[in-house]
Amino acid sequence: MPRALITGITGQDGSYLTELLLEKGYEVHGMVRRTSSLERSRLVHLYRDSKIYGQRLFLHYADLDDPTTMRRVLMTVEPDELYHLAGQSHVGLSFEIPESTCDLTAMGTLRLLEMVQDMRKKPRFFHAASSEIFGQPAQMPQDENTPFAPVNPYGCAKTFAAHMVTIYRKTFGHFAVNGIMYNHESPRRGENFVTRKICRAAAAIQLGQQKDLLLGDTSAKRDWGYAPDYVRGMWLSLQHATAEDYIFATGKLHSVQDVVETAFAAMNLDWRQHVRKDNRLLRPAEPQRLQGNPAKARRLLNWEVSVTFKQMIEDMTKTEHAQLAGA
Amino acid sequence: MSKKALVTGITGQDGSYLAELLLAKGYEVHGIIRRASSFNTQRLEHIYSDPHSPKHKLILHYGDLSDASGLSRLIAKIQPDEVYNLAAQSHVRVSFDAPEYTADIVGTGTIRLLEAIREVGLKPRFYQASSSEMYGKVMEVPQTETTPFYPRSPYACAKVYSYWITVNYRESYGLHASNGILFNHESPRRGETFVTRKITRAVAAIKLGRQDKLFLGNIDSKRDWGFAKEYVEAMWLMLQQPEPDDYVIATGETHSVREFLEVSFGHLGLDWKKHVEIDPRYYRPAEVDLLIGDPSKAKKKLGWVPKVTFTELAKLMVDADLKDLQDQLAGKVAHSE
Repeated sequence: MPRALITGITGQDGSYLTELLLEKGYEVHGMVRRTSSLERSRLVHLYRDSKIYGQRLFLHYADLDDPTTMRRVLMTVEPDELYHLAGQSHVGLSFEIPESTCDLTAMGTLRLLEMVQDMRKKPRFFHAASSEIFGQPAQMPQDENTPFAPVNPYGCAKTFAAHMVTIYRKTFGHFAVNGIMYNHESPRRGENFVTRKICRAAAAIQLGQQKDLLLGDTSAKRDWGYAPDYVRGMWLSLQHATAEDYIFATGKLHSVQDVVETAFAAMNLDWRQHVRKDNRLLRPAEPQRLQGNPAKARRLLNWEVSVTFKQMIEDMTKTEHAQLAGA
Repeated sequence: MSKKALVTGITGQDGSYLAELLLAKGYEVHGIIRRASSFNTQRLEHIYSDPHSPKHKLILHYGDLSDASGLSRLIAKIQPDEVYNLAAQSHVRVSFDAPEYTADIVGTGTIRLLEAIREVGLKPRFYQASSSEMYGKVMEVPQTETTPFYPRSPYACAKVYSYWITVNYRESYGLHASNGILFNHESPRRGETFVTRKITRAVAAIKLGRQDKLFLGNIDSKRDWGFAKEYVEAMWLMLQQPEPDDYVIATGETHSVREFLEVSFGHLGLDWKKHVEIDPRYYRPAEVDLLIGDPSKAKKKLGWVPKVTFTELAKLMVDADLKDLQDQLAGKVAHSE
């Protein structure tokens, strides 16, 4: 049975990846941080299944800034594949906590690479890089050869990490992949991300639990995909014969305004009556023009997206609605 | 009142030349030094005065780029007008042996310093010592301010991070923050493990019969080598501009280690081929390509032009090392001057 180790297993991507790998017959290990509130809502359906947890799914306490523990877990598990998804992943927040963003995102990646360096049987390594490494690129859409030019502390840290991954691949021959992930959403997206915030608000407003929604710049456009598709891309990239960097994106742009309109329409609401602008939510240096070209992933990995933007936002809003109505 | 500058990495080659320059311009110069059990201030001894003297304008503080609270406290206390971030684990080959430490100081250290500045609420002008190593596997020749980066060592990856985070603090917070992308710059004060200095010290030792062989790595690697003393002037000039910006500081010429050997051995009438042996241990795991900087922008906007030529540089370094060693052998106190 192949063994995988996931950092960031409690996150959106980690939980979908866990499901995918279990389905493919893997034994899955995850690193989790100790917190006083047991925040593993995304894994709870697996965690409570006694046929899975403790049988094919194992969680280990460890933290990216605790190298000794991390090393011990890695050496004990001896995974065939290592998916490194953990990071301080919120761009806006990276302006508030830039130092720990750098420490976890960049230094954490480097620490893992150094540990892998010391392993006799080196796992294949997937690093979840981000489209934020491109910042405000001159070239549109971006591909694997577009120069990195980040414009926020999160993007700078991811650039740092992606460069290190490349160094370890080219210098030491590690099977190490950068997946340059464009925005990817789902009902499990963190609640402080804009898509989730909008879908949740539309559902709550429909149920009369909320009156209106404050948003920053709604003209900002993103290349938004569906998270389960993106974790399939991660897995595919480690099954390929060679280690490469890949863009994972839809290649299509939609604005925050499109999210608003789709989500409110799914709830049969008129967004104009509920959405208000709030300039405090504007980011200091707002990246634009991030649109990925997934041709290489399509060509080498046969990777395709399975749902449209509209389907995804509708699904997210309806899931919120069902959850809020049940609560 | 005189302007106040804070220099990290003040005990290094560039830090010491910069401290001299700033003192000559009437600045009060503050430097951050790490505590070490052996003295690490040799390069500053000649400009350091008694702290009790009224003319005391060079002030050293204990601190470290890995110590965020210490940085905040120092910036709050000093209230500098200009901050020069020169501190680093600056040896590329060593960065493959100690990548985490290198990344922590060279990369994360910069964000700690920028955050300390932001936290204290000051807006000093900020200089970030960026490096030609960021170009690594070069995307074009010569390299300019718009050439994309392709780092090839942990050191270079960390420098790329610091470059971008500096740009980011300029664009996000309006900080007068500039990157000087400095190509190799050497001097008699260059660290002894860097190839130029390793060579000129060996030339002096061979000339005086104290050494016979010199072991080197890849002598065909080429660099754009300038004189450090001139490069620190460019740093200062960048912070005097009305607008912050990024500049390539280079000579625009490239020379191989082999050429450096020829000039420096030849200067004392020696034949390098009789003394130099290749040791693959000194090879880098990944070598950088042809690094040649195009300093046109610095020339145009800062009026900065390098004057000391490659040959002059090699010779002045050999002369200094020869004098050092002679002094040492004669029992005089010696330090790199």
